[in-house]
Amino acid sequence: MLLQILVNALALGASYALLALGFVLILNATSAVNFTHGDMVMAAGYVAIALFSIVPVPGALLLPLVMVAMAVLGFVFSWFAYFPLKNRPPVSVFISTIALGIVFQNSANAIYGAEPRKGPPLLSEGLFEVAGITIGKQALGIVVVAIVLILAQHLLLNRTGIGRKLRATAQDRQMAEAIGIRVNRMIALTFALGAALAGAAGLMLSNTFFVTPTDGTNYIIKAYIAVTIGGWGSLTGAVCGALIIALFEVLFPSLPLLIPPLEAIAPWLFTQTASTILLYLGLLAIMFFRPQGLFGERVQRRV
Amino acid sequence: MNVLNTRGTDYFGMLVAAIIAASPLAAAAQTAEVNLPILVPITGFLSLEGTSQRNGALLAIKNAPSSVKITSEVTDTGASPEGATTALERALSRGKVSAVVASMLGTQMLAMLPVALENKVPLATVSGTADITEKNNPYVFRFFPGDAVAKGAHVRYVLEELGKKRVALVYQTTAYGQSGRRHIVELLKKAGIDPVMEEALDVSVKDMSPVMGKVQVANPDVIMLHLHGGPSALFIKQAAAAKVNLPIVAGSGLSQPSTVALVEPAELKGVCAEANASPVAGGSPEMEKFLAQYRAEFKTEPDGFAVGQYDATAMIIDAAAKGARTPEDIRKALSSGSYKGVAMTYKSDGKGNMANSAVVICYDGATRTPKIAKRYD
Repeated sequence: MLLQILVNALALGASYALLALGFVLILNATSAVNFTHGDMVMAAGYVAIALFSIVPVPGALLLPLVMVAMAVLGFVFSWFAYFPLKNRPPVSVFISTIALGIVFQNSANAIYGAEPRKGPPLLSEGLFEVAGITIGKQALGIVVVAIVLILAQHLLLNRTGIGRKLRATAQDRQMAEAIGIRVNRMIALTFALGAALAGAAGLMLSNTFFVTPTDGTNYIIKAYIAVTIGGWGSLTGAVCGALIIALFEVLFPSLPLLIPPLEAIAPWLFTQTASTILLYLGLLAIMFFRPQGLFGERVQRRV
Repeated sequence: MNVLNTRGTDYFGMLVAAIIAASPLAAAAQTAEVNLPILVPITGFLSLEGTSQRNGALLAIKNAPSSVKITSEVTDTGASPEGATTALERALSRGKVSAVVASMLGTQMLAMLPVALENKVPLATVSGTADITEKNNPYVFRFFPGDAVAKGAHVRYVLEELGKKRVALVYQTTAYGQSGRRHIVELLKKAGIDPVMEEALDVSVKDMSPVMGKVQVANPDVIMLHLHGGPSALFIKQAAAAKVNLPIVAGSGLSQPSTVALVEPAELKGVCAEANASPVAGGSPEMEKFLAQYRAEFKTEPDGFAVGQYDATAMIIDAAAKGARTPEDIRKALSSGSYKGVAMTYKSDGKGNMANSAVVICYDGATRTPKIAKRYD
């Protein structure tokens, strides 16, 4: 049971990490908060369901298709939500992304209805049993896929020409333009990349936790918190922030299982309600005492 | 004779003309006009249930007799109390409202009650939250077993049919969840039982493995759930994955076909749920007819909320057909009359609780179609 809880926490953290990475990529490239990012995760869940209904294969095989579809959506999205408003105050982009998020939600509701839907599993549902220890196949699959994607994104940004251009655009748009980088193209590509990562998260989360049209709001809050905890603009921070959220959501309420006396001392503290309160109190504490986040400016490296 | 014949013809002609002239007036006098806004959550976390309400109400309107002319508009109340009050105030500002099909979200109902009282307009809902009929408001009518009835059935099934004593209780943090929890704990206490474990879950909680771990440590002999639909399905799925081999008796959230569709039949083995009714389980010619019509109209399975709202709307329409012309007439008809609906016979207990029956349905692990295990009147 305890190992299963740990794997579940890692799987949840891994999904949140993909979500947060996509969010911070766009944030760094545009200096604007993309409030539709959570709805991109939701949309990806429905894309996965739609593709599965046409080609009923494991989610791992659908994953590239979902990511490509979401990348295209992200690219198109940037032309509606960002480029027309890029020279306006940042709040304009913020509002436009909220508006488009509502469009996504209502479109999903109109097409699929309000009831929760289940996406395809990566390989299969069910459990592995190894040496008497039971681990969920989907949870393990999510951890593996997330590690692969995070590494791939790291290699793309740090070891490829296109990655250097993306990072240059994020660091200083004017300088990047001055040295001949097509900044608008790089920004659109960043939106595509961010949406693709949201797509991966969406496919995986839609099986484990189902998908409804209103899920986006919850996911964008998670992304926002992860980035704030980890450090605004830090990719490493985004991943760590996401894992911290998952630890609070899953491990903290489970502590009495590891340390039984805790249940007797303060049973009200180790509940999922209390852990949510503590997470947000911790967020406030970070904002007060370490506003740059856990990884701050020192190790911050913009995309 | 000529004169008499002429006069007779004149009198006859006048009589015929009078009858013809009177006929459209007579017909108009018999046609009741009902303005029935449908204010339900179509978006937000209760959109599934709100959609069921909407569908049930629309089907009842479609089946209305020709003597009742109904004007109705569907408005989304979202998930916030202010969304509901805004929708209600807007509906009231558009003209004379006869009655309202109102949101089943407890917090929204509580917000709408003062507006309904001020404007003297009856609200017909399928909300399960106990408090809505505890505010001395004569304008609320609940066509769904209140917590007293529903949780009574829930607890009685666990204690009397299953014979269980060590209860683990998992409930939602919403008004619905907390209200249900209060009733469950009170009823268990009356039987001399304290839950061995209790945990409240927010609707946004997705990973329930901490709860599963605590359940296993507490060593109950039954799990009682009082969660909304989606969280109920998540719990069942994750309980099966965690190999929690305990009987589970859930709330009405798990009686919805759309919720059950999210879990595999094998994961439902040993799972039961309380409900006002289970249309998919059939059970009467009226229910079978309702089921067929609903499927044909909306291409989906109806749940207990749909049939409850159907019956609520049908009772309002029936009142209008029998002569109720004003909101006050409809309120009186709902308060004092009884109505044989599809799911049950409805009669107010004086506080607006119209539904006095509940059922417990159980799944056999082979299919997603439940059977009615016990009925409580």
